[in-house]
Amino acid sequence: MKHACKEISRLASNSLDRKLKLWEKVKFHVHLAMCSNCRNCDNSMKLIREASELIQKTKYGNIRLSNVQREKMHRTLKESTGG
Amino acid sequence: MNSKSDPHQWLSEHGDYLYRYAMSRLHNEELASDMLQETLLAGWKGFDKFAGQSSIRTWLVGILKHKIIDHIRKEIRNRNLTEAVENDPTSAYFNENGSWSEAPSAWKDNPEDLCQSEQFHAVLDSCISKLPEKQQIIFRMRDITGEDSETVCKSCDITSTHLHVLLHRARLALRKCLEWNWFGQGTRP
Ligand SMILES: [Zn+2]
Repeated sequence: MKHACKEISRLASNSLDRKLKLWEKVKFHVHLAMCSNCRNCDNSMKLIREASELIQKTKYGNIRLSNVQREKMHRTLKESTGG
Repeated sequence: MNSKSDPHQWLSEHGDYLYRYAMSRLHNEELASDMLQETLLAGWKGFDKFAGQSSIRTWLVGILKHKIIDHIRKEIRNRNLTEAVENDPTSAYFNENGSWSEAPSAWKDNPEDLCQSEQFHAVLDSCISKLPEKQQIIFRMRDITGEDSETVCKSCDITSTHLHVLLHRARLALRKCLEWNWFGQGTRP
């Protein structure tokens, strides 16, 4: 292997957070084309993120303030702002 | 239209939206509603600074966002969560020559199915909780909440280089943990 898998795993992770530089991109994709281990690693990091984001959306997408919370807040606002 | 400083009206119109924003980042009902309340009050007090170039909602989200960043930053400082960049735990996954010491397997699951599985949520949570605390916070902010890198760096007082190092560590550790405990094709220790 021309580029060590360890370095490629770093680029796989980095690619989720920043734009890879051109030379990094070339190195990354050339390696992925030849190495199924790193392809699996790259895919699993993406899958973890996609599933996590989806779980988060499902968990918090529809929550609302309860009436109790809302009333308490109106009361406190009234006291603090005098209005 | 919206140029009146009325926190009661803000609460009615934007309360749920702001609460959702806070909850998805703080995961704590009491804390989230405290932050929301502080935000409405800060908005009321600082209303002269609202120039009206953005919507009230965007302006309030900005205030809330800063309060949350401050909160997380204080939390991290108080608990003195540091992690040295020097010792590199990712070496454990690789041989001397930089090849995988244990080949990662192909994961066939799709995110929709994983999302619907309560068991997967539990396994994912337990894998995340095994990470060093600072990595947990950073991973949750970045990959779960989808916060941008700049906000994560600000909240955690770290450089973007440090952020990338910690995320690489966190993702490799999580990948391995999930491979053992969920995807089930690796060799158990
Ligand atoms: Zn490789």
